[in-house]
Amino acid sequence: MSAPTLAPQAQQPPAELRRETRRERRRRERLEERDATIPVELYGLKRGTISVLTACCVLFALFILAPVVWVIINSTKNQANIFQSFGFWFASPFEFFHTFANLFRDVDGDGTYSDWFLNTVLYSVVGGVGATVLAALGGYGFARFEFRGSKLFFGIIIAGLLVPITLVAVPLYLAYAKVHLINSIWGMIFPSMVTPIGIYLMRTYVELSIPRELTDAARIDGASELRIFFRIAVPLMVPGLMTVLLLSVAGTWNNYILPLIIFSNNTLFPVTVGMGLWSQHAGNSGDNNLYPLIVMGGLVTIVPMIALFALLQRYWRGGLLLGSVAN
Amino acid sequence: MSAISLEKLTKVFSTGVRALDGLDLDVSDGEFVVLVGPSGCGKTTALRMVAGLETITAGTVRFGGTVVNHVSPRQRDVAMVFQNYSLYPHLTVAENIGFALTNKKIPKAERDRRVLIAAATLGLSTLLNRKPAHLSGGQRQRVAMGRAIVREPSVFLMDEPLSNLDAKLRVQMRSEVLRVHREIGAATLYVTHDQVEAMTMGDRVAVLHDGVLQQYATPRDLYERPASLFVAGFIGSPEMNLYEASVSDGELVLGSQRLALGGAEAVLASHRGRKVIAGIRPEDLRLDTGARQAEHADGSPEHPDGPERPDGPERTGRAGAGALAADVRVVERLGSETHVFFSIDAPAAGGEAEAGLLAGHAHNGVARLDPRSAIHPGQRVTFRVDPGRMHFFDPDTTAAIR
Repeated sequence: MSAPTLAPQAQQPPAELRRETRRERRRRERLEERDATIPVELYGLKRGTISVLTACCVLFALFILAPVVWVIINSTKNQANIFQSFGFWFASPFEFFHTFANLFRDVDGDGTYSDWFLNTVLYSVVGGVGATVLAALGGYGFARFEFRGSKLFFGIIIAGLLVPITLVAVPLYLAYAKVHLINSIWGMIFPSMVTPIGIYLMRTYVELSIPRELTDAARIDGASELRIFFRIAVPLMVPGLMTVLLLSVAGTWNNYILPLIIFSNNTLFPVTVGMGLWSQHAGNSGDNNLYPLIVMGGLVTIVPMIALFALLQRYWRGGLLLGSVAN
Repeated sequence: MSAISLEKLTKVFSTGVRALDGLDLDVSDGEFVVLVGPSGCGKTTALRMVAGLETITAGTVRFGGTVVNHVSPRQRDVAMVFQNYSLYPHLTVAENIGFALTNKKIPKAERDRRVLIAAATLGLSTLLNRKPAHLSGGQRQRVAMGRAIVREPSVFLMDEPLSNLDAKLRVQMRSEVLRVHREIGAATLYVTHDQVEAMTMGDRVAVLHDGVLQQYATPRDLYERPASLFVAGFIGSPEMNLYEASVSDGELVLGSQRLALGGAEAVLASHRGRKVIAGIRPEDLRLDTGARQAEHADGSPEHPDGPERPDGPERTGRAGAGALAADVRVVERLGSETHVFFSIDAPAAGGEAEAGLLAGHAHNGVARLDPRSAIHPGQRVTFRVDPGRMHFFDPDTTAAIR
């Protein structure tokens, strides 16, 4: 809804009324953040301690980033060079584009990577958005309404966090078979829409970021509960929702066990299961040149996740900080 | 018929806390009623029950004769201003003010017209496109008011709307709120813990203490005829001086001093020979200059703590009927008046008298004097008291003796 321009005399809005451009806001936020940061000298640590800690951080970063670097470098190599050349440097021939093109072909009869990739996108986006919507509704409900058994229900949801999927694999398969969710995309999407951690996060977020008086005020103003949720609560929940979206999309994106259990049809596989199949076949024979495809597939799989994190990072960080900073 | 009528309104929380106990209150059309009391006295709970935000344990809430106990806040059609304003942070001022109208599905043209009128009333016309974050405290308070008045409500509730403002703005907004109230003429229930706000704003004031209504009267009545010890101590600044005393032979015995009761004796007829609590407003103590000069002529020491100082009764005897001898401890010159904190040898029983002792000060009373009074700490003075202006309370029931 656009702001109604009610003030007729405000033809030329004064400087403080003008909307900041996106670029200006980014710049202001970056500078504000810099001002708010406490310089390392003021931490009260000895210079030597700071150096040691910095070295530890660098080592840890290397440990985390080395596999990524390895994947990027080896995505340019052929199968022989992946095994024989030095892992952290390039080797000719430069096979990057050739391998990339092969991702769209059915190389050894298992199916094409591009199909699996689209499946992964579908499951993750639909599942992630659904999970976010449900987490928003559930979290808000648990945060704002007391109803018979609300504490028990919430306890059950949290208990769900503790049950590993491997434990329920067999019963899940049997149940799915009964309701015809084996080899169905909904068999993958429905469970992905349920995130106990998302509901828990949203409940905490609502409790901390939406004062009760605000919903009370909306009630007094004659808004229905649904309208309060959509018009007042949801806009204020956006940073929290972005966090849940990111978590649930990434969770579905990386999910391996569930699709492994429910899919036997190769065209329904997500990337994780498809590449698992490649990996098996590559190990069995070894002459089908599947290793470059696996490396390339891994690279293509992580790029969207990195992009998503970079894009939503602002919300993600804001969401995590919210509980600790009042107002 | 009263616009708002509360009958035996009671709230017991599930923790067992009895926040409100049998509150009876009527607010007439267009009346401005202030609910005042110390924090935790149940005043906000009462207001939230009127608004429908709190369930009612017992009793009834009526709007214009209709019981609304089980009507949701949405349908009660009350407007409310919250203590922390509770503006919708993501909406502009115009959207904040117009939110209730949007909920009622009032057409946009009509809505805009009413928002503009409300904004003009409150001097917000140039701020309509701003978000609450870019407003000052006073402006936010106005927006909260605007959100309430735009609905043209018949019942207007305010929960300490001025308590987040700085002192100067609060005084300004007091008259602003009253002006707006006169313009819209809705029955208003206003909650505050500030007795000055209550006295200056209310047509009638209800004083609550521990969930129990102490007195419901005009500010003037509250001040001049407090119904209980609590009201006497709560209303007025500086507070009333309250002392344990007893009545004997037509005199009031205050510590070692005796005050002739004169006309007030009839009031205390029922308490002859018994203990009472005597209250004296700080402004009802007048400095007896004659007596003070006599002291000087005597050559008595200026400093009361001197060991050779003769003791009380002898002196009061000299000061005569209706006079109290006191030692000045602290003098506060406020410009327009002077507050003199003194000590007399009567035991304090609440109000300023007790507050002074509790705070560890050596004084147990305060007098409000002319700023030109030549008076300084350490002096021994005599105050003139008109017994007819004193207040008396029963120490057991704490009710006023009239």
